[in-house]
Amino acid sequence: MAMRQTPLTCSGHTRPVVDLAFSDITPYGYFLISACKDGKPMLRQGDTGDWIGTFLGHKGAVWGATLNRDATKAATAAADFTAKVWDAVSGDELITLAHKHIVKSVDFTEDSNYLLTGGQDKLLRIYDLSKPEAEPQVVSGHTSGIKKALWSSDDKQILSADDKTVRLWDRNTMTEVKAINVAMSVSSMEYVPEGEILVLTYGRTIAFHSAETLEQIKSFDAPATVNSASLHPEKEFLVAGGEDFKLYKYDYNTGEELESYKGHFGPIHCVRFSPDGELYASGSEDGTLRLWQTTVGKTYGLWKCVVPEEEGGELAKARVSLPGTAEEELEDLTSENSDSIYSSTPEVKA
Amino acid sequence: MKVPVSVIRLPRGPDGTSRGFDPNSPRYQALSPISISTMGCGNEADLEQEQQARVALRERYLRSLFAMVGHTIHFTMYERVNVSAFFDASDIDILNFQVSDLQTPLGVHREALLRCSDIISYTFEL
Repeated sequence: MAMRQTPLTCSGHTRPVVDLAFSDITPYGYFLISACKDGKPMLRQGDTGDWIGTFLGHKGAVWGATLNRDATKAATAAADFTAKVWDAVSGDELITLAHKHIVKSVDFTEDSNYLLTGGQDKLLRIYDLSKPEAEPQVVSGHTSGIKKALWSSDDKQILSADDKTVRLWDRNTMTEVKAINVAMSVSSMEYVPEGEILVLTYGRTIAFHSAETLEQIKSFDAPATVNSASLHPEKEFLVAGGEDFKLYKYDYNTGEELESYKGHFGPIHCVRFSPDGELYASGSEDGTLRLWQTTVGKTYGLWKCVVPEEEGGELAKARVSLPGTAEEELEDLTSENSDSIYSSTPEVKA
Repeated sequence: MKVPVSVIRLPRGPDGTSRGFDPNSPRYQALSPISISTMGCGNEADLEQEQQARVALRERYLRSLFAMVGHTIHFTMYERVNVSAFFDASDIDILNFQVSDLQTPLGVHREALLRCSDIISYTFEL
């Protein structure tokens, strides 16, 4: 029985969602942060999309957002010329880092001790979060505004992308190791540590490069301009979305288009796979985030697999849950499902 | 005919009244002390003392907000903006101040909302 994908829409933002990031899997599940032009990034439970909190404090559009591995800290990059570090448990603003221009990208090192920022001032900055008052280390070289900056190679290197180039830097010497020119303006960049793969999107192209040599491994073309792409943790699929409002899922090995989904009411700005690969999230100009199942029909998070009835051999009618359904029934089911994702007795750290 | 996948409910959205981060959630209960301690605190006694100090300071601040109601407050804001208004109320997270008769170079606003993050300082006379 063929199943049709039911995306879960997360509302709350009032302007376009321009960036999103997942944390790693923590004892409390995994989390998702979304950057929005309304200046109010939000934290959500990663597997359900439930809103947890909103980080309040930025005075301009938030262009980039990220979580550290265990989702205890968040960082955001905004048009108010600041990057901020937040306590992702309480929602409190911890540090404000002033820049000289719009900040576009933020990334934590694996130990959460350093923050990398990049933006319109064309400089990469490395902040020591234990000494936020100290001047950051500054790396110059880009000739146009930096769109994305990421740590790579166990935080020993930095990958950064501007309009037309992608550069690799050595962290210790702060010098450029390699640079490649890209045919059209880079729209997104994702770094996959296992396998050292760099996922780049520009024009209608989704390209995969080695994160160590920057050489291209392979590339695919989508039917329309692509704004973001993400590779599945097991590297079987990739998903991409862009200007035609649709999400595409491709087989990574063959490049074959497997599925495509309509649903968003505006161009898609960002897509990311969850850390367990079971779902992917997309953020759009329409101000919403949508969660999509990797395996359509599987029971996971809020999605429930409906087992066919046995008597008479008739096919089961899928119970499509409409907003008017009895809340009490749904609440019981919710708590059942929620328990299976989190461990029931989280360890308390002294 | 393709059958749509069932969902048990829709994702919960913002509650519209607060910024979230429920202090009663298991994650908050377990991790929050760690968050405070990252600011360099040592032992339990120090924490306790700091908590007491915070409580006293916060109570004093909240009482000061009470005292402000109905008075004319002079606000010093960014971009060399200095305005004055009658203070009416603050929201629960002290993010916005509700004021009336806000005197600005452009005229007097009968009712206005001042964003606290835009305010550098404010003074008033009792």
